[in-house]
Amino acid sequence: MNAQSPSHQPLTAASGIRPDPYRSAAPAQLACREAAVRIVGLTKTYMNPWTLKRTCGLDALDLEVHRGEVFGYLGPNGAGKTTTMKILAGLLKRTSGRAYLLGTSIDDVRSRTSLGFLPEQPYFYDSLTGLEYLEFVARLSGMQAQPASRAARHWLGKVGLGQRERLVLRKYSKGMLQRLGLAAAMVHEPELLILDEPMSGLDPFGRRDVRDLILEQREQGTTVLFSSHILPDVEALCDRVAILLGGRLERVATVGELVEGAAPTIEVSVAGFPLVEVPGAFAGTLRRREAGGTSAFIVEDPARLQEVLGWLLSHGVTVTSVTPQRPSLEQLFLAAAESSAFQAQGVRRQG
Amino acid sequence: MNALLIAQNTFREVVRDRVLAGIVIGGIVLLAFTKVAAPLAMGEDLRLTVDLGLSSISWLGLLVILTVGAALVNKEIERRTIFNLLSRPLPRPLYLVGKWLGLTAALAAVAALLGGALGLLLAVTGHASYAMAITQAVYLAGLELAVITSLAVMFSALSTPVLSALYTLGFFLAGQWCDDLRQVATRLPSGSREAVETIANLLPNLSLFNMRALASGGDPTSALHLLLATGYAALYCGCVLALAAAAFESRDFR
Repeated sequence: MNAQSPSHQPLTAASGIRPDPYRSAAPAQLACREAAVRIVGLTKTYMNPWTLKRTCGLDALDLEVHRGEVFGYLGPNGAGKTTTMKILAGLLKRTSGRAYLLGTSIDDVRSRTSLGFLPEQPYFYDSLTGLEYLEFVARLSGMQAQPASRAARHWLGKVGLGQRERLVLRKYSKGMLQRLGLAAAMVHEPELLILDEPMSGLDPFGRRDVRDLILEQREQGTTVLFSSHILPDVEALCDRVAILLGGRLERVATVGELVEGAAPTIEVSVAGFPLVEVPGAFAGTLRRREAGGTSAFIVEDPARLQEVLGWLLSHGVTVTSVTPQRPSLEQLFLAAAESSAFQAQGVRRQG
Repeated sequence: MNALLIAQNTFREVVRDRVLAGIVIGGIVLLAFTKVAAPLAMGEDLRLTVDLGLSSISWLGLLVILTVGAALVNKEIERRTIFNLLSRPLPRPLYLVGKWLGLTAALAAVAALLGGALGLLLAVTGHASYAMAITQAVYLAGLELAVITSLAVMFSALSTPVLSALYTLGFFLAGQWCDDLRQVATRLPSGSREAVETIANLLPNLSLFNMRALASGGDPTSALHLLLATGYAALYCGCVLALAAAAFESRDFR
């Protein structure tokens, strides 16, 4: 979203258009209720009509997203994130398996009554104005004309497009269209939001606004399932994350569990650039890092910290700090992706 | 209800399209041209005006269908605007019905506009008695366009805009000669005859909607003809849209 835009406004409090008994409850309590999204053995294969070759987009996925939680859906390109989201939104037909939104099977069109969906790079009708478009989609989601009009104006203002409600969409910038897409997903106050790359194409201000909006939705008890390549945002927002690789679910855990479960490292910062070489006895335990005019040693095995410190001091090196390091979600994600690729390579070799 | 919302949106989209405005202006210019060309008609200028005026509704309507209707659904799929619609509680068949209804309403508006211009021209030149025949002929032309639109929507939901336009044009032309095809069938040996008759029955019988010859003389048609044509158009459109919906239901939007 474009902060330089004169229409830019920070996102503010919720509208409370749809009264919902779940909304007053705290997110922790909501998590105990029935799953907002339940996926059982969901599989999608695509067939090339010319070569009849089948490719697997999603392989027997089992997943539950609890009510009221913000759930991050991670994976590299082609992992099956968009495929899952499109099946849930009714845009793709599954090959096998089942899925339920708020307890209703996705085969039933009513499962999408309380769903707000933002596709990756949303597209709109050029000749409509922002207001007309939001009124139209709000009514498609079951709102009456008057409330739809009120909600459309409210959400245009909320995403910073209040001054542009009569502007035709062909004149909107990319950031403005992304804001409109978010407003379209939320205009009918859904209980479940599925957002495919909501931060895509946004500047830092726009990303901040989307983060605020997602947090605000969580405060109201809305379940949010979103995919993103911007892992720091996922780390900051999500209660739990799922890592998907090659159409298969690798792991589901809270961000805390993922990070806690990973092996920690310790960074030993030293003064200057000491002329010492890491001895063979520390192979695989200690590595040296020099960047940004500083020098540090990374201890991969914390149990050997004392040994490392003793070795450094015995060589006259001045230790300036010893800092335990927690791997970021990004590092964990990359490690999982590499491990999966390694395993797949092993399976191919065995085959 | 949702079909009406899609129809309303489609109508709005089509009406705001410059192609439609250009075609309506072209139709009115064509009508004015008939008055200029009157001396060449050797006393048949009234017949020429009515015939050309009514023909322009069919042909210009067809042009709208081929340029706008043939890409109606496909364009939404390619431009991904359909994602924001089908991810809502909107059954896919109702989406197609809405698209058809919206374009049909826009074409009805074009037919009414061009028919009104023709009626006004005739009234000004002292032929107000043609009003009933012209109204009926415009109504039937509207039904004909509704039938062709249903075919365009079906092809558009399943094919590319170019192929969809070609298929629609093919059905339009073949539909004009439906009765001739049945005549040919009677002279064919058994086997071939049934096959040709089946094809003729599957094609839209567009001659049912053509009363230009009657209207050129200012003669209205019977209520039974209007009723039959209305029933036939409703049945044909219903069957085509049901077929389209069945095929559209299993489509993936990647």
